[in-house]
Amino acid sequence: MEFLRDFFVNIGLWFSNLLAGFLPGWAVNLIMSLIGVVILVIIGLSSVLVLTLGERKVIGRIQDRIGPNRWGPFGIFQPVADGIKMLTKEDIVPSGADYWVHLLAPIIIMIPALLIYAVLPFGAGLWGADLNIGILYIVALGAIGTIAVLMAGWSSNNKYALLGAFRVVAQLISYEIPMVLSIVAVVLLSGSMSMVTIVESQSVPYIVAMPLVFLVYLVAAFAELYRAPFDMIEADSELVAGYFTEYSGMKFVMFFMAEYINLLAMSAIITTLFLGGWRFFGLERLLPVLGPFIFFAKCAAVIFLFWWVRGTFPRIRIDHLLNLAWKFLVPLALVNLMIVGLVDKLVEGALLTAAVLLAANVVEAVVVLVILSVVGRKARSERLRRITVQAK
Amino acid sequence: MPDSELGIGNWELGIGYWELGIENSELEVSMFIRGLVKGLSVTLKHFVQTYLGHTGIRDGQRPDPTLGGLFTVQYPDEKLPMFPRFRGALMHLRNPETGEPNCTACGLCVRACPQQCIEVEGEGKGKERKVTAYRYDLARCIFCRLCVESCNFNAIELSQEYELATYSRDMVWDLQKLLALGDKYDVHETGKAW
Repeated sequence: MEFLRDFFVNIGLWFSNLLAGFLPGWAVNLIMSLIGVVILVIIGLSSVLVLTLGERKVIGRIQDRIGPNRWGPFGIFQPVADGIKMLTKEDIVPSGADYWVHLLAPIIIMIPALLIYAVLPFGAGLWGADLNIGILYIVALGAIGTIAVLMAGWSSNNKYALLGAFRVVAQLISYEIPMVLSIVAVVLLSGSMSMVTIVESQSVPYIVAMPLVFLVYLVAAFAELYRAPFDMIEADSELVAGYFTEYSGMKFVMFFMAEYINLLAMSAIITTLFLGGWRFFGLERLLPVLGPFIFFAKCAAVIFLFWWVRGTFPRIRIDHLLNLAWKFLVPLALVNLMIVGLVDKLVEGALLTAAVLLAANVVEAVVVLVILSVVGRKARSERLRRITVQAK
Repeated sequence: MPDSELGIGNWELGIGYWELGIENSELEVSMFIRGLVKGLSVTLKHFVQTYLGHTGIRDGQRPDPTLGGLFTVQYPDEKLPMFPRFRGALMHLRNPETGEPNCTACGLCVRACPQQCIEVEGEGKGKERKVTAYRYDLARCIFCRLCVESCNFNAIELSQEYELATYSRDMVWDLQKLLALGDKYDVHETGKAW
């Protein structure tokens, strides 16, 4: 019973003790690390199977359709069928393509997507590595994906692919700033960049303490994942398929998989930073075995939000997208950061800090809405005046 | 601001009404937020309705739009009833008392057919005349129903059969097949729905 209470950690301990019986210490460490890598990669890759099916089902239901349901009960083998189909497709390299860059791009986009999983804490004691700069590592990996997209767009010798890649650079550079500023607010409050410490310091989940920071991060996360309504780089109706227009077969699958691996990773990061990770009202102390389940349930809620938004909002225009980032999210994130810094310095005690932060956030939200209202009304009446003069 | 004050239609300026009618609304920015929430609530409602309204297969009933829910017709598993005047393949009708085909091989349908897809053979004279062979070329039929309109003996009608694709080219139907189709739909009178 005691073994089952913290099953996942105990089984690891049991196995490493078993190995230590006949192997030197470095070999045990090596084997345990390799097993951890395999598990993390399996989590990453199998998430693609679950998420593609789930997305099609949820979007289908939002549109009063059923979604895939032919292959197996509830269509659960649909991703397998898709995978087999993609595997048997011809791998086409367009004439005039930069062969090596074209070949490397899908590999380079996959690797950072999988590397993010190394620092995600799935439960108490369940993580690949507790880096003391965990969140910085994640931000750095996110930048590598951008290069891969640019490589894919450039090497394809296709104007639509190139346009998609250009857009993504503008979009990602813009949205990385509010995203990192929101992360800094979290890091300020928790006092650490380690993902584990961030979770452990959330006696009150940060989504409650600072909802505005969460909102800014969430919007930036939509943009960083290139998901609707910010799917500028794919924009099927404008750019054929964006940066992977010229990819087929397994190379296309790698872009596709990277997208879904990133989706789970991003929802896991949001869970860690704002929703309290594996913690759930002390349940994780009572039964540590529930930690990963709580974690993935929270991830599922965030992923449902991503799907729900995709099923609701149309794509916004590229200039509106950049306006939103530079004129709204960046200033808002800066104000958020200032408020968090002030409150963190002035107020003692976790609960009191959270309460004061929440109050400050509400005040901030009201002020922001009033400013937007005044500015917007002014701009629109000015435009109306211009139109009236023009018409006369 | 009404259009008359501008002296020119909003359409011609290419301006949406929301841009001009802004002064009627005091809280346009919170409308911006409310608009997002409203959209999300609509999609969530539809998502939930697929579990509460129509779910899955509906026994050949057309979906009721007021109920909401899944509107997908899972075709091979469920089939919708065709409308009464749906024009499918031709069928031959029987006399319900004698069980004999009503057709007298008069040849009016053959003449009426613009595609010349009907051939008929018969024997006997006058009231004794009976049909012995009837060939209907489905591949050429355009489902115009002129043959049925020309018929004076309640002998033929268009069925509601629409799954007419075949793997082979035996698309010339004989009398037996046409009668079987008439038996399947259990029709004894032409033009009931017309």
